[in-house]
Amino acid sequence: MPGAATILHADLDAFYASVEQRDDPSLRNRPVIVGHGVVLAASYEAKRMGVRTAMGGSEARAVCPGAVVVSPRLEAYAEASRRVFAVFDDTTPFVEGLSIDEAFLDVSGLRRIAGTPAEIAADLRARVADQVGLPLSVGVARTKFLAKVASAVCKPDGLLVVEPEAELAFLHPLPVRRLWGVGPVTGEKLERRAITTVGDLARLHESTLVSILGPAAGRHLHALAHNRDPRPVVTGRRRRSIGSQRALARRPTSRVDADAILLGIVERVTSRLRKAERVARTVTLRFRDDDFARRTRSRTLLAATDATEPILHAAQVLLEQHWPVVEQVGLTLLGVSLTNLTRDATRQLVLPFGARPVDENLDRVIDDVRHRYGRTALERATLLHRDPGLSVPMLPD
Amino acid sequence: MKFRCEREALERALGLASRAVSTRGGSLPVLSGVHLALVGNELRITGSDLDLTISVGVEVAGDTDGITVLPAKLASDIVRAVADGKVEFAVEGEEAHISAGRSEFSLRVIPADEFPQLPEPAANAVQLDAAVFRDALRQVIPAASADDSRPILTGVLMAAESDGLRLVATDSYRLAVRDLPGTSVLTGDESVLVPSRSLNELARVLDAGAELTLRLGEHDATFEMAGARVTTRLIEGEFPNYRGLIPASQPNRLTVNRELLLDAVRRVRLLAQEATPVRLIMKPDILELVAVTQDVGQAHEAVDASYDGAELTVAFNPDYLLQGIDVTGGDEVTLETVDELKPALLRMVGSDEFLYLLMPVRVS
Repeated sequence: MPGAATILHADLDAFYASVEQRDDPSLRNRPVIVGHGVVLAASYEAKRMGVRTAMGGSEARAVCPGAVVVSPRLEAYAEASRRVFAVFDDTTPFVEGLSIDEAFLDVSGLRRIAGTPAEIAADLRARVADQVGLPLSVGVARTKFLAKVASAVCKPDGLLVVEPEAELAFLHPLPVRRLWGVGPVTGEKLERRAITTVGDLARLHESTLVSILGPAAGRHLHALAHNRDPRPVVTGRRRRSIGSQRALARRPTSRVDADAILLGIVERVTSRLRKAERVARTVTLRFRDDDFARRTRSRTLLAATDATEPILHAAQVLLEQHWPVVEQVGLTLLGVSLTNLTRDATRQLVLPFGARPVDENLDRVIDDVRHRYGRTALERATLLHRDPGLSVPMLPD
Repeated sequence: MKFRCEREALERALGLASRAVSTRGGSLPVLSGVHLALVGNELRITGSDLDLTISVGVEVAGDTDGITVLPAKLASDIVRAVADGKVEFAVEGEEAHISAGRSEFSLRVIPADEFPQLPEPAANAVQLDAAVFRDALRQVIPAASADDSRPILTGVLMAAESDGLRLVATDSYRLAVRDLPGTSVLTGDESVLVPSRSLNELARVLDAGAELTLRLGEHDATFEMAGARVTTRLIEGEFPNYRGLIPASQPNRLTVNRELLLDAVRRVRLLAQEATPVRLIMKPDILELVAVTQDVGQAHEAVDASYDGAELTVAFNPDYLLQGIDVTGGDEVTLETVDELKPALLRMVGSDEFLYLLMPVRVS
């Protein structure tokens, strides 16, 4: 694997909480929890006390009684994210957004213009601090995987460069759970066999790992432990998905509520889809259980669309299919993501069977009314008097 | 229950019956099994998911009559895997024993009394020519929708039409219509909607040359042929009114050799990735096909054709276009168009029995 460490993984620290601390000086240096129900984000002060993202509200207040709990302001976070991404885009043309608060940047070829990757990373942190007022941690390495691990290790407000010759020395002492794809289950399987560090993992033969973890996970971890990760930073193409999700309280959610929440999410994502001038073919529902295990179900439509109706229908079918599982394992997050996106410039037309009851123009009219008179100007009857809930865009459009 | 038979015959029967076995979880556990009933030398193997039931007969050397239900997948896998030649089958208590060559398997059976009673086929029967009906099914089935969220469009409409039977399928992007003149199954304005999945399975079971008997009940249809029976639930509901869509004629007419067009579209389609369409540029005496995928590349091909009309470019989903050309049949086909946004009409030259109407892809 030739080359120098030119991939940056830039990750905003405790993003929502940092925005709150930035905008309200009285919150600085204090434990801050965003979200009155499930914890959406916790400041580093709160994290030190044991507060974790996605923890229940009462549990969080129990471990950190002094925390200030604030309501989320999604508009402010979306605005902050846009400004941070503008700094990223100004740094290099090769930016691959991973979520609202993290991205990979490839800075190869910028040495003459902007300096070494380490200098660019330091400059990036300074500019985000100056221009947006938020702490950013940056990991620098030859591969995406190492860059991501490095930013996690140097958090909060840190910078860590893993030079090519120091890669294995950096990687091998790390706990196995740092590796991508090692969750609680895999972690426990490995630790039961006294495999606790990445170095332990690297000493195993690939076939041994496959026998413990199965072929896909075994090969994946074997490659990562040997620092093989050839994935480039992907840019130039438009984003591959549009999605939104909503965290739910840990108490049981009724089917009626779930249907209403789903409707709200689908309306938001389809409206964003139309705004981005894309059509989608695959609808994926994301579920999180009471124990925070995640599940997905997806369905591919016959033809790509940006209309609310067929996407909602597919989402409702998926929810119906999954509901027996929800009744057993609970539901703490419901999300919808649309993938298989293409430009809506090409669109499969539909045979003109008489008058169509719901046509695409209706969606555009609704979008337009909401754009002009506000989100709540026009509402579905089933969503009237319901808390619109928090729906978090996963990437800036 | 005890019998001997040839492995190959048993494998075929198990394979066909298993195709109706429920693959969806959550239904009756017994429906994951195939039902075997032996009377004399006639073994009947039946699989069902309640919507579709396939029952296949096999000639065996019977020893003791009986009834049992076996796990479908396992039974098929075993019979497929063992050595060619004679297979011995016997049920003792709760176990079935399958032996062939030097292999022996014993398999826990599923209680047979839980297997649902299947509806008796309706009494009124009509005869169909199996080969003609199978070919007609193959022409219309691809146009039916595979999307369960719109159940009506997953069906094939069988309707009485002037002097015969008409089969219609649409997924709302294309429409396939096949007439079978002289085949009277339904009368007046009668019609039924049959799941395309069931008809697809029927087309597999149908042997050319066989006599096919259709029995239409109120809620189901049964197709009977030598050695096999396919029963399917009918879909309830109103099929969309497709008649107004079929134009008498359209202003632009392209005539082209079907095989040449098929091959050209197959090649050009290689560069129609990520849901991009294939463009047909129609000019006098030449048809040009173009596909462009951004950041990947492009393909271009010219095909000799005769064209009568204004120069026109129309874009289609390559898969829908290919399926249409494929099922239209004949040596030459015509493609009639109005403009780049109106449905295009594909027909075989010299026959009015089949048409395929395809909506273009709008390109801006």
